[in-house]
Amino acid sequence: MPGSRGRQGHPRLALHRNELVTSTSPLTLALIAAYFVFVFGSLLLRGREVSGPWWYLLRSFFPNWRFYHGFGSQPRLFTRTQQPDGKWSEWQLFMPRAKLSPRDLFHNPRNNLLLANQNLVDHLAFDIQTLPEQQSASELVSYQMVTRLAHSLVKQQGLTGRNWQFQVAQVPPLQTPNESMTILLSPELQA
Amino acid sequence: MSSLYLALRCFECLLATSLLIQTLEFLRIRSVQQTDGLWCWNVQRGDVAHASTLVRKAFDWLFSEQIHKAHLLLRLATAASLYVGSSIVSATLLFFSTIAILIRWRGAFNGGSDFMTIIALTGLMIAHWGQFAVSPILAWQAGLGYVCLQTMTSYFISGAIKLFSREWRNGIALPYFLDGGIYGPLAADSLFRKRFIAIACSWGFILWECSVPVVFLGPTVAMVYCAIALVFHLLVFVFFGLNRFVWAWVVSFPALLYWAGWQ
Repeated sequence: MPGSRGRQGHPRLALHRNELVTSTSPLTLALIAAYFVFVFGSLLLRGREVSGPWWYLLRSFFPNWRFYHGFGSQPRLFTRTQQPDGKWSEWQLFMPRAKLSPRDLFHNPRNNLLLANQNLVDHLAFDIQTLPEQQSASELVSYQMVTRLAHSLVKQQGLTGRNWQFQVAQVPPLQTPNESMTILLSPELQA
Repeated sequence: MSSLYLALRCFECLLATSLLIQTLEFLRIRSVQQTDGLWCWNVQRGDVAHASTLVRKAFDWLFSEQIHKAHLLLRLATAASLYVGSSIVSATLLFFSTIAILIRWRGAFNGGSDFMTIIALTGLMIAHWGQFAVSPILAWQAGLGYVCLQTMTSYFISGAIKLFSREWRNGIALPYFLDGGIYGPLAADSLFRKRFIAIACSWGFILWECSVPVVFLGPTVAMVYCAIALVFHLLVFVFFGLNRFVWAWVVSFPALLYWAGWQ
C-alpha cells in the first residue's frame, strides 16, 4: 500500500536510490539563486492583501515570516478598578512576564497561553482599526474575548465586587503611554 | 543505511517530539477553553458565524469539551506513533488535527511555530500521498524538499525584512524587542543596551538569516548553519519564551541537511 513503510520500507527506498539526481548542479544552484531573488523582490513589491474569515482562521497555511520587523506602535491592554471611595485606580498594563526556567523548553503551557492572550489584544487592535463605521466594537469576537481577559486580570488582583474598565492603546516605541494613544475605552463594567 | 532513510527517520522522530510537546501543553491549558474560560467556544463560535449550519454544528461537536479532550488524546497517541514510523493514516490524522486545533485558537496559537508545524505535516502528507503517483523515494524526496524550501524561505524572509528596517540596521530595535520579551525587560546594564553590541548582533542575525542559500554549498556548511540555527532558536527561547519555535524548526533540519547533499 502506498504510504506504509514497515520493515520493507528501507530496502525499497535503497532500490530507487539513484532515481533522482541529488547533487547540487550549477543549474540547481542557478534555480535556487533565482528563487531567492524572486522572494527578495516579492518583499519589495507587496501586492494586495487577501482577507476574509476563512483566510483568517487558516492563515497558518500562508506563513508570515516577518518576525519582529515592525518597530511601530504596539497594542497594549490596560485595566483599572473603582476604589471604595469612588475614585479610579491608575491604569494597570497587561504585559506577559515570567521567570525563565530550563524546564520551559519542554513544557511551557502557561507562558504560551500568556502570549496567545497578548495576541488577542493585537487582533482586537487590528479589528478596531478596520471596523466598518456602522458596526459596534462590542460585536467583535476579539472584543468579547479581551473583555474576558481584562476581567480575569481584575479578578487576579483580588479586586472583585468593584466596577472596572479596560482600554486598548497603541503605544509607540520608547514612549510612556498616555490618553491620546487610546483606541478603545470600554464602558464601566460591573464586577 | 541510506541517507534518505536516515533523514526521514530523524524527521519523523523530531516531528513526534515537537507534536508531543505541543499536545501536552494543549491538554494542560484545556481549562481556559471550558464554558467559563477566556477561550470558551461559545464566544469563539462567532468566528464561524459566516459558515453554513452544518459546518457550525460540526465545529460545535468537535470543540465540545469531551470530544476536544478525546481529540487531543488521540493526537498524542498518533504523534507518539511517529517514533516507530509514519503512515498515510497518521500523517493525514495529524494534518487535519492540526487544522482543527488552529481554528480552535483563532487561526494560530503560537504564530511561527504553528506555520512551521503545518509545513512539516504538509511535507509528511506529500511523502505519503505522493506515493500514489510516484515511487516512495521520489515522494519522500519531494516531501523533504518542500520542508527544506519553506525552512530556507522562513530564514531568508525573516532576515531580509529586517534589512529594510532602519531601526534593525542601527541597533535600536534589538533591545526594544528584548525588553518586550516574556522574560524581559533586559537588565539596566545588559550588554545588549550597548549600541555597538546591539548593531553587531543585529547585523549578525540579518546576514546569517539572509545567507541561508549557502547550505547548498555542501553538507559541512549545512551542518554549521544548522548548529548556528539551533543556538539562535535557543536564544529566542531564552529571551522570548518561545519553546515551540525551537522544536518546530529543529524538525526541518534533517530535510535541510539531506537536500544540502548529505547523501
